[in-house]
Amino acid sequence: MKPKPFKLKRSFLLITILLLSMLASACGGAGGNSGTGTGGEASASNAAGSGSAKSGGNAAPAGKTKVVWWHSMGGELGTAADQLVADFNASQDKVEVEAIFQGTYDESLNKMKASMDSKSGPSLIQVYEIGSRFMIDSGAITPVQQFIDAENYDLSHLEENIMNYYTFDGKQYSMPFNTSNPILYYNKDLFKAAGLDPDKAPATYEELKKAAEALSKNGAPASFAIYGWFMEQFFANQGAEYVDNGNGRSAAATQSLVNEEAGVKTLEWWKSLIDSQAAINLGRKTDDTKKAFVAGQVSMTLDSTAGLRGIVDSVGDKFEVGTAFLPKPDGSSDGGVIIGGASLWVLNNKPEEEQQAAWEFIKFLAEPQTQAKWHIATGYFPITKKAYDEQIVKDNLAKYPQFQTAVDQLHASKPSLATQGAVMGVFPEARQIVESAIEEALDGSKSTKQALDDAAKAITDKIGNYNKTVKK
Amino acid sequence: MNTTVRNAPAPAAVAARSYKSAHRRGLTASLKEHALAYLFLAPSIVIFGLFLLYPLVKSVYLSFFLTDPRGKIAAYVGLDNFRQLLGSAQFWNSLEVTGKFVLLTVPGGLALGLIMAALAHSRLKGMRLFQFIFSLPLAVSVSTSAVIWMMLFHPTLGMFNYFLDLAGLPAVQWLTDSRWALISISVMTIWMNSGFNFIVLLSGLQGIPEDMYDSAKVDGAGSIRTFIRIILPLLSPTLFFLLIVSVIGSFQAFGQMHILTKGGPAGSTEVFVYSIYKEAFVNYQFGTGSAMAIILFLLILALTLIQFTILEKKVHYQ
Repeated sequence: MKPKPFKLKRSFLLITILLLSMLASACGGAGGNSGTGTGGEASASNAAGSGSAKSGGNAAPAGKTKVVWWHSMGGELGTAADQLVADFNASQDKVEVEAIFQGTYDESLNKMKASMDSKSGPSLIQVYEIGSRFMIDSGAITPVQQFIDAENYDLSHLEENIMNYYTFDGKQYSMPFNTSNPILYYNKDLFKAAGLDPDKAPATYEELKKAAEALSKNGAPASFAIYGWFMEQFFANQGAEYVDNGNGRSAAATQSLVNEEAGVKTLEWWKSLIDSQAAINLGRKTDDTKKAFVAGQVSMTLDSTAGLRGIVDSVGDKFEVGTAFLPKPDGSSDGGVIIGGASLWVLNNKPEEEQQAAWEFIKFLAEPQTQAKWHIATGYFPITKKAYDEQIVKDNLAKYPQFQTAVDQLHASKPSLATQGAVMGVFPEARQIVESAIEEALDGSKSTKQALDDAAKAITDKIGNYNKTVKK
Repeated sequence: MNTTVRNAPAPAAVAARSYKSAHRRGLTASLKEHALAYLFLAPSIVIFGLFLLYPLVKSVYLSFFLTDPRGKIAAYVGLDNFRQLLGSAQFWNSLEVTGKFVLLTVPGGLALGLIMAALAHSRLKGMRLFQFIFSLPLAVSVSTSAVIWMMLFHPTLGMFNYFLDLAGLPAVQWLTDSRWALISISVMTIWMNSGFNFIVLLSGLQGIPEDMYDSAKVDGAGSIRTFIRIILPLLSPTLFFLLIVSVIGSFQAFGQMHILTKGGPAGSTEVFVYSIYKEAFVNYQFGTGSAMAIILFLLILALTLIQFTILEKKVHYQ
């Protein structure tokens, strides 16, 4: 009788010890995560990082350096991105890129934040333009300027106004990859039916309102998604800055200017469209307005050039798609659009060899041929001027003249701090706050001015908190 | 007084000492037993400590700091986080939205579960099939049902607007109109919670002895009277349990807001947990996020205590 419970006890003890040690190791991992040092950890992770790359399940063939690229290109954009990766992997035998779709820009960035102190993060990540300040402040990246300087890489063939956006304090931090701007999409057939000139798209707020009123009488109003990006673009299109201190470029921004005249003017116009039912509100998702536009339920919409290919393809022969510049208030001649889209960032917690491999891939993506393919497959415009000399681009522009609009709009934009784009560390939050303000104004729960004043105050508070935590 | 007690040969200590010497063998045995008990408890204590106690303590600690863009502690701010919260309109709005959400979903969910349970409790043929159907929502995860309902709610392609159109009514912007969004989400949540409520209430109903119904029938009570005077009181422990669980559940609802509206439009569906999520995991402000989490913890604690002290008196235990 005696030995039995003893045995039982021992096995329980064993299990308990096992459990405890498992928990302890989990704890150790967590402790490592919350540790502070980045430099030390980076070098410590070198050996393990490259080791796991070789021993991992879908490891690169022997002798190849593996680059893990996180991107946010879903749907047809994802297919196009995968094609570029396949092209690159086939083009040489030194580097193997593995592309992983990580959800929207927001989701991908959050996953990266969570992975920052571990080895599970990417070596290269695509981050939307408004995440730039955060990426720099995070201290987790290697500026591409280092690679540029090391080999005297020639930047002169790249579009200046695109490179400008990612230049901070005279330094190139990341490499643009997919760049877009917002354009007005309209249904030429519905324009004809409403007695409007299908070849003359509305260029000002007033003209757009008149057109929308005529179109809505025929049952097809306009609809713009409540997307903070549009507000940022409307500011730039009036030559107005979005935050103080030279749009946050001469010094860290301290104050939101979203309640200035440019914002009030824009939101009042937007609200008047909704109030007169010349436009309907389909919510925040551009995807919903896009679907309604493709289905012919909506006559005019705003969307990124990135959606051009998808829209033209899904409309097919149903109607003729017109594209035009982003409208601006009457009499406003300054400004232009800010480039949107995303750029590529090299993470600094990977071995140098791997970072260098990521740079090789970045260079491949910036090549005229690659950019040309990317441009016609998506609607993002090329980041290099040389891409326009490629035959496929010329053929595509002849077949789909709509692609020309974004390019012209980019080149027509006057370079200034306004069109260079605002910079702030809390941009993603600021965008949400502005979207809320637009909703409040459109549904009448607050006056236009009040909604914007409240938003400006909320953003200014957030910026204040952020600046407290970032030591220069 | 204290000193005299301390200096005097305390009778209790003397007694314990004699007890000790007399029962030394017994005591070591019981000590051993205690040790063994704690050994068995150790895994759950460790897990509890690691996943509940430590995060709670850490939250309290973090709530006094601001964090930098990487989520690391950057500055001590004392009670500023709480002060800033209490002064922010967003905070009060999310409390208000949460309150509305609880009021919309809890009674509705209980009523729907009760109706379905009463229906399924009848002896009609084919009720087993309905019992299965009624409990199905329980088997569907929040995210899955949110995606399904998102399609139903879709402004231009959704089924609801299609039916409204058939009926000649104007389309409703279910999720993008701030007057409708919370109601839409509540409807979806009520459906989602009905499965659990149904199962618990059905077993409660089945726990009521048959002779209760019989004697009520003999006494000439109609079905409504039977329900109000006999079934409801006997079900009250079950209902009380569900009420507490549903209130806590509603306070913690997150998935459906995250998928359907992201707290919009204009903050009309930004419940408290969603604000916490946004603050901590989108904005990486763990300090203010922790402060909010602590307020939520205290709020739920207070509400549960209130329910236990006031409502439990009305509960009838057989």
